[in-house]
Amino acid sequence: MPLPPRRSILRKLTLLNMLVSGAALTLACLAFFTYDQVTFRESLVHTLSAQAEIIGSNSVSAILFNDPQSATNTLSALKSSHSITAAGIFTLDRKPFATYTREGSDAIVNLPAIPDGQVETHRFGSAHLVLVRLIVFHGRPVGFVYIRADLSQIDERLKRYASIALGVLLISLIAALLVSYLFGRSVAQPILDLANVAAGISQNKNYSARATPGKDADEVGQLVTAFNEMLTEIQQRDVELRKAHDELEDRVTQRTRELLFANRELEAFSYSVSHDLRGPIDALNGFTYVLSKEYGDKLDKKARDLIEHIRGSGKRMMQLIDDLLNLSRVTSSQLQAEPVDLSSMAFSIAEDLRQGQPSRQVEFVISQVEKVNGDARLLRLLLDNLLRNAWKYTSAHQHATIEFGSLVENGRVIYFVRDDGAGFDPRSTDRLFQPFQRLHPTAEFPGNGIGLATAQRIVRRHGGDIWAKGEVEKGATFYFSLAAPRSRGSVAPANDAEQTAL
Amino acid sequence: MSLAEAMKSYRLKSGRLPDLWRTICPPHLLIACLCLLPVALRGQENRPTETQVEAAYLFNFGKFVRWPANSASNSEYLVICVLGNNMLGMVLEGTVKGETIDNRTVVAKALPNLQATANCNVMFVNASEEAHLDAILSAVRHQGILTVSDIPHFTDRGGMIEFVHQQDRIRFKVNLLPMADVGISVSSELLKVATKVIGQSGGAK
Repeated sequence: MPLPPRRSILRKLTLLNMLVSGAALTLACLAFFTYDQVTFRESLVHTLSAQAEIIGSNSVSAILFNDPQSATNTLSALKSSHSITAAGIFTLDRKPFATYTREGSDAIVNLPAIPDGQVETHRFGSAHLVLVRLIVFHGRPVGFVYIRADLSQIDERLKRYASIALGVLLISLIAALLVSYLFGRSVAQPILDLANVAAGISQNKNYSARATPGKDADEVGQLVTAFNEMLTEIQQRDVELRKAHDELEDRVTQRTRELLFANRELEAFSYSVSHDLRGPIDALNGFTYVLSKEYGDKLDKKARDLIEHIRGSGKRMMQLIDDLLNLSRVTSSQLQAEPVDLSSMAFSIAEDLRQGQPSRQVEFVISQVEKVNGDARLLRLLLDNLLRNAWKYTSAHQHATIEFGSLVENGRVIYFVRDDGAGFDPRSTDRLFQPFQRLHPTAEFPGNGIGLATAQRIVRRHGGDIWAKGEVEKGATFYFSLAAPRSRGSVAPANDAEQTAL
Repeated sequence: MSLAEAMKSYRLKSGRLPDLWRTICPPHLLIACLCLLPVALRGQENRPTETQVEAAYLFNFGKFVRWPANSASNSEYLVICVLGNNMLGMVLEGTVKGETIDNRTVVAKALPNLQATANCNVMFVNASEEAHLDAILSAVRHQGILTVSDIPHFTDRGGMIEFVHQQDRIRFKVNLLPMADVGISVSSELLKVATKVIGQSGGAK
């Protein structure tokens, strides 16, 4: 019969059963042994006493008429009782009158004294029981009878009992094992089933499972019922939770759709506004150009300066509108992915910048980076914005270095544009990429605050991220990644942490 | 210095006796032997005399014998008579003094002649009366008296119990036939220690 697993309740029940029955039986056996020992000793004394009395009364005439032979004959009758190893008749002055010793046994050494007022005394030794009885005839003491019995029969009896008890114990333990195997199942099976179902549920998260209720309406049955009710409750809550979650999801989707729609409308609106603004500004610029060309010599110097101001503002306005159009184009236009060589792109932009202001001493350090998949037009705009930014903010320095390169972090390629220019206050990092937000006064570094916002949109459209590190007058570094990180979960928070650390 | 004292001082000196010596002769046994030595030496004079033993036997016979209902047994006395030999009579008087058997006071009585046998339960016939033995026996024949004597062949001549001397001990023969005639019964315990029993149904011992 297979034993249940070590920690099973069935095993514990079996063990308990066996322990209880074993202990009860052992105690019962011990009690029985003790009782038997006591009664056996008592009966032994009684038997010996009776024998002593018989021998005594049969030896009276022998003593009175001084016939030891007759007494010896009487004693020799004891040969038939095997437990008696020695016996003797003693005269009143305690001298041996006749003795009997079983073959191989010790002779009688001394005659124990009988306490005053008693007829008989007995003494239990380690191996013998000695009994002495006064022989009384016609109310007068005549002599003593001494009988010594071997106690080895008690030991033998004890051994026999022990072997029987051991056998009974073994059988009853097996019976207990059998009983707890047969009936323990009826008690433990519902618990085992319950445990199995609970383990299955905690493993598979399958809350539709149910424990089988037992036949009896006992505590285990109540437990099973309560457990099943709990499962039903959990299932109901699950359903409700899922419903609420789905509703929330729907609502979010709807809101997002609405927001996207609103955003697109807004962008379309700003695009058309920007586009429509171009016409009048174009006209303004054109006419002021004509005015300065045709009537320049007829105007005095002050008027010419004013016209130049108007033209400058018009150009800036034009630039602003172009930038705004770019910005909205970045979000609205379709991405056209192709392999793009960012390094050569950076190189050509750097050339453009140098030709624009040949007087400046700026060193470009452009590393060769691997080709990347992306929209070439947008990526050029991105690099142009970042490098132009660096070019602009190093203008206050006599010598400047602008770097472009890439590094690998957490298995993600990160590009960077680094300069050693004016830098920025790290506390204002979060404002860097917001449109129209500028950290420096326009008088110091001209600009409209759209470039970095555009850069951020381009990076995000490619599924990447952009962030910056910098300090006032210690330069700035702009980092960006293009492809989304391979596992969103692990890198995105690290990125956040990095950004907040800025 | 006695041997016991010597042993004691030896024990004090050595601490303990050699085991072998102790096994062969344990000190307490040795001391007991030494103590008993004077008793053994005195035994000769202290040993009960033949007369004393005979007196004790006469008294003890009373405990194993049952007299017929119509005899003197019903009285409150158990009378042991001695015919002849005043010596035994005197010793017997000392032996039975204050003794009772079955609530009957035991009395010793010296018989001057055969006329006084009426109250006797036991009668001892001294060897000196051997010449008149047949007359004595026939005189008491129907009186239910247990007759005892140390006359040789007493039982063969119709007596009941005859003392015999055997290996320094006094023993007795029993003749059941005259006892049966007068209705005296004898305990088998007594017959067990008799050297010879005449008229026993199971055959003579």
